[in-house]
Amino acid sequence: MQAYVVSPEDWNFFLDGLMKAGAVVGPCRRRDQPRFHHFDHLDHALDLTLDYVTTTMPPKKFFFPTQETLFSFTVNGPAEIDRVGETTPFTLIGVHPCDLEAIDALDSAYSYPPAEKRWAANRNRAVIIGVDCMPDEYCFCTTMGTSGSRKTCDLFLTPIDGAYLIEAHTLTGARLLEANPKGPVQARHVAEREHWRKEKIARTTASLAAPIANFADILERGGLTPIWEEVASRCYSCGSCNITCPTCFCFDVHDEFDLTLAAGARRRSWDSCQLLEFALVAGGHNFRAERWQRVKHRWHRKFLYLYRRLGRPYCTGCGRCSRACTADINIVDVSNQLISYSQNGGRNA
Amino acid sequence: MRSTEAFLEVELYDGSPLNHRPGQFVMVSVFGHGEAPISICSSPSHEESFELCVRAVGNLSRAVNSLRAGDWIGIRGPYGRGFPVFEMRDRDVLAIAGGIGLAPLRSLITYVLDNREDYRRLIVVYGARSPSTLLFHKDLELWSTAPYVEIYVTVDQPDNTWKGRTGVLTLPLREIELNSGKGLVVAAVGPPVMYRFVAMELLKRGLSEDQIYFSLERHFKCGIGKCGHCQLNDVYVCQDGPVFRYSDLLGRTEAVEAWAPEMDRD
Repeated sequence: MQAYVVSPEDWNFFLDGLMKAGAVVGPCRRRDQPRFHHFDHLDHALDLTLDYVTTTMPPKKFFFPTQETLFSFTVNGPAEIDRVGETTPFTLIGVHPCDLEAIDALDSAYSYPPAEKRWAANRNRAVIIGVDCMPDEYCFCTTMGTSGSRKTCDLFLTPIDGAYLIEAHTLTGARLLEANPKGPVQARHVAEREHWRKEKIARTTASLAAPIANFADILERGGLTPIWEEVASRCYSCGSCNITCPTCFCFDVHDEFDLTLAAGARRRSWDSCQLLEFALVAGGHNFRAERWQRVKHRWHRKFLYLYRRLGRPYCTGCGRCSRACTADINIVDVSNQLISYSQNGGRNA
Repeated sequence: MRSTEAFLEVELYDGSPLNHRPGQFVMVSVFGHGEAPISICSSPSHEESFELCVRAVGNLSRAVNSLRAGDWIGIRGPYGRGFPVFEMRDRDVLAIAGGIGLAPLRSLITYVLDNREDYRRLIVVYGARSPSTLLFHKDLELWSTAPYVEIYVTVDQPDNTWKGRTGVLTLPLREIELNSGKGLVVAAVGPPVMYRFVAMELLKRGLSEDQIYFSLERHFKCGIGKCGHCQLNDVYVCQDGPVFRYSDLLGRTEAVEAWAPEMDRD
């Protein structure tokens, strides 16, 4: 892994080069709500805000759009299918370690056989540039083991004294930097990066009261219904947690006709296990009709089921669900309530 | 069949066999209306075509019901884990069908009949709500007079022409002599409430959970374990099922609790 130092001028030169070469998306201040950031297409280099805590929606939307057409069809006789897919390459800048880890988690989930190819195709046309960050009170990446992640990125930036220490993690990343002005890394730069890493951990206040493996066992043992019911009494089943979660990936599929009724498209869109109809079958039976069942399912899915099946929790500690929740339910608070309830033999502490 | 069920014989575009296993399903598309999972109800031994029995309960199934011979549909699959036909070899096979559950079981039953020497007793217990909801009359007639299959048919609500058994299907289940111990495998398909009572009955008769298989229904959208709709606790019913060994379902609260809601506590 090669590393260099880029001055602000070097960085601007590099960014200009990327923007001239193709589409670039990155964190920008939302025009309608300047206190919030979102990942958006950069029209001007100045739109990019690398110094941000979080975005409302995770960058997964570039690889797994909120809605997309799978294929179009015509229905005279045997249907003729026309697969639809984007092919334009793009650069995704400014991804925090929690979100890099989440992209890696979805790589795993979607490639589990039989593989979901649209995600892979979108991943293959993107260059990812990560950047390090400092937490707010909702972040708990440290406890989820993701605060130092470098997964999936081609380049990674650590802010150091008005410049960036830039690491090349792939050949693609190294090649991008080849022709760019940059300087060598010196001992003091490495020390600054190390200081950033430690400071980030020190400033992270939210954390789970048990190691992830123990939390999985606690969920598996069960006996936690009073907590589920308490959370359910506040939850609106609105699905905001799923929408903002970088590792959620459930979707719905539906067909649409155009006005001719002889042609149309099959589309997919994001879906949420928190919505009432998610587990509803034709004939009317609903396998998760009660809100507490859906709330419990989310925790189990993220911290137990996928943890066992795919070897990592499907939560990277980004805190978006807590920030977005209509009822201000906090994932760390509830998780710690579950842990404490279980450790106290099924009693509230 | 009533007008709410459609029986389709499907040939693939290029004439190739589907090569399915009994108990698997296909994702059926009527483009513009949608796609839904339908169990295959014929044996894989017949290679030129395969059969689907579709009850009209939702958008897609209603669209399928209005198709005519010669129309085209989209087929993806076959998907899922089917009945353990290898494990059933040299053993007695007891197929218990509740209502439309006879459709996937017909695939198993006809497969066993096509390979009759590989299996010992073949017992079919079929319960329907009323005589008008009985499916596959021709097969029932054939099986009821054949020496190589024992069949018990019952309806919950008889009409005044019905001369057969009445009552729930656990009643004929009690009459059958089951004395082969581990030499018996049970495959049951029907509504969740049926599983609860069938399980109780079979365990009372001394069977163990590892000799009983249930086919479970969930909302399927992708059929390949990605969209998440069919999640049952930690498994995907479309990939790890729809046929499950009962012993694998114990401890999975979303299986057991669907049959006995009062038992669902975390």
